[in-house]
Amino acid sequence: MDLTLAPEQTEIVASAAAFLRARLPLATVRQRLDSDDVVDPGAWSAAAELGWFALGLPEDRGGVGFGLADEALLFREIGRSLAPGPYLPTVLAARIASYAGCRELTARIVGGAERVGLVLGGAHDGAIRLLDADQSLVVALSPSSASLVAVDALDDVVRVNCVDPASTLRRARAGDVHPVASVTNDVDPIARRGHVLVAAMLTGITEAVRDVAAEHARDRIQFDRPIGVHQAVKHPCAEMAVHAERAYAQTIFAAVAHDERRRDADFHATSALLVATDAAERSTAATVQVFGGMGFTFEHDAHLYVKRARVLARLFGAPADHLGRLLTLDRAD
Amino acid sequence: MDLAFSADDDAFRDEVRTWLTEHAPSERRPHDLHAARDYDLAWQRLQYEAGWAGIGWPVAFGGRDLPLTRQLIWYEEYARTGLPPIDARFVGLSHAGPTLIARGTDEQRADHLLPILRGDVVWCQGFSEPDAGSDLASLRTRAVVDGHELVVTGQKIWTSFAPVADWQELLVRTNPDVPKHKGITWLICDMHTPGVDVRPIRTMDNGYEFAEVFYDEVRVPLANVVGDVDDGWSVALSTLSFERGTASTISQVQLSTNVERLIELARSRRSVSGRRVIADESIAHRLARARADVAALRALTYLNISRNAHAVQPGPEGSMLKLEDARLNQEVYRLALEILGPRSLELVDGEDDTYWVERQLWSYAASIGGGTSEIQKNIVAERLLGLPR
Repeated sequence: MDLTLAPEQTEIVASAAAFLRARLPLATVRQRLDSDDVVDPGAWSAAAELGWFALGLPEDRGGVGFGLADEALLFREIGRSLAPGPYLPTVLAARIASYAGCRELTARIVGGAERVGLVLGGAHDGAIRLLDADQSLVVALSPSSASLVAVDALDDVVRVNCVDPASTLRRARAGDVHPVASVTNDVDPIARRGHVLVAAMLTGITEAVRDVAAEHARDRIQFDRPIGVHQAVKHPCAEMAVHAERAYAQTIFAAVAHDERRRDADFHATSALLVATDAAERSTAATVQVFGGMGFTFEHDAHLYVKRARVLARLFGAPADHLGRLLTLDRAD
Repeated sequence: MDLAFSADDDAFRDEVRTWLTEHAPSERRPHDLHAARDYDLAWQRLQYEAGWAGIGWPVAFGGRDLPLTRQLIWYEEYARTGLPPIDARFVGLSHAGPTLIARGTDEQRADHLLPILRGDVVWCQGFSEPDAGSDLASLRTRAVVDGHELVVTGQKIWTSFAPVADWQELLVRTNPDVPKHKGITWLICDMHTPGVDVRPIRTMDNGYEFAEVFYDEVRVPLANVVGDVDDGWSVALSTLSFERGTASTISQVQLSTNVERLIELARSRRSVSGRRVIADESIAHRLARARADVAALRALTYLNISRNAHAVQPGPEGSMLKLEDARLNQEVYRLALEILGPRSLELVDGEDDTYWVERQLWSYAASIGGGTSEIQKNIVAERLLGLPR
């Protein structure tokens, strides 16, 4: 048992972080917020060249053959950076296409030619919602399987404004839809992978806001002292550190549980999603408060973290759905 | 990264489990403090004779010096016995003993380590004072050198097991004229010395282990100073580096077992309306969240142990574990009361439900003992995030 990073994992983290800093710093992301397409196509292709969309795909399927733990470390960096774009559903899409035997489609997705969106889980009002469905395909999950669906096959697709300015949202109605490709959970548990990877992104967000809030608490002077001397500011910062730590710990635990084919892998993946969602929601909210009036402005980055965390928290349904499901699972080993 | 234990580790786990199943005391730990002392020491003697005493102690001092992973396995299996995580053996095995190993003289080690491992003696801790709690270094219990002795006068408080202790690790002020961290000395104090007066304190969970200790010109040989006179603060800190996050495993595994028991309880009990308690969505959701949070607490423990296995000195990450442990203990046992309904008002000796009521009352201490949650947050913010003091 060892949950510290292996040297090659440290390398994955460092190179992903360096790439994101160079190609997608938050200032650059901001400049694209008002454009039609917030996703930088050059950065997307470069990410594909780095193998990001095939990292966890087995080598005999044309992938890099790394584990879910390695992939989770990559997505933690993506989450931290607030990079716009459907990195997560695209990785899931590559697996669905591959395991469904669609070689050409797999190659297109892995090569960066297809950005695949996601049908958000847990709709209560009859409509379905598509996240980042800016090109032709979306991933749709059911309790037992995962599919790729053509956006064209859905009815009444309309773009609506998304609370997160770096994401796009569409409403639609499901007609008589035939998936382009489909994979059942026993072949490859796509939903579990999604839960772990979104938990990793939420962990990255939690770590990011922990760091910017702590920096502000150190630097901002009021009453002749840094505001971080006051426990009313200091303790929320410490709580963010605890949230980041528990989200990270449970996420890598879940990823390794999957990689080692443990029986309780679903239990840990769902727990990771719940813990990381809670961590990110609480920490992003606390960050707005630490920054005070500046934190409430559009100009400041705090709200971008709040909003991305909110979108990520709903990718696979509402927290209440996950809580209900966790109780139906066998206890952890 | 891996979670799997080696085949050797698995075999070790089997060995531990078998031994604990066959030897852990099956009768309830007595309520009476003196009987509890005998119970705890008899249990320690049994472990010593079977070679299980001091699993983290160096072999040279009678321990097993097991790697952290094996210590983790021992504590995980120990938790299954349902025995309390902390009993009369705790200070000797986890605090005073390790301190003597790190900083004691050969003679001090020879005098004290084996009796601790063998279950001959109970140690207690004389650190906190009425005016020195979180700000421990401001302690004022005085000790003045007189010939070959120190003469101690003052008061300590929150001393668990003092009424049945033989020895005490005692922090005293030997120099009031220097900055507060610099005039402190770490002493081995014989609790049977004339002038030591132990007065029990009853706690809100009807506990009986707590006490305040008064010292009226208590004479302690200078040979009982650990480290140097006035260097006691560094001696006290050296113990902290000994704790590498394995000992809290017992309480954490028991918490996770208790969450599962509460889920069963909520499934089998009915509320006044006749519905099963778990049908109440707010209870069900809190139970599910507790499940996830307790899983994360275990993941945190594993992460902490993994890091410490590579580190020369454990970092402040242990404070995060302690914070989360305290928060979850309080949430889980509060939830237990809601599942019990009106039975949560009853304290009936021997009835199963009373266990939950007592645990909930105990849980208030989880965010106070061993450093309050407020102090832990200061440590996390200042040492991990670099916030100003």
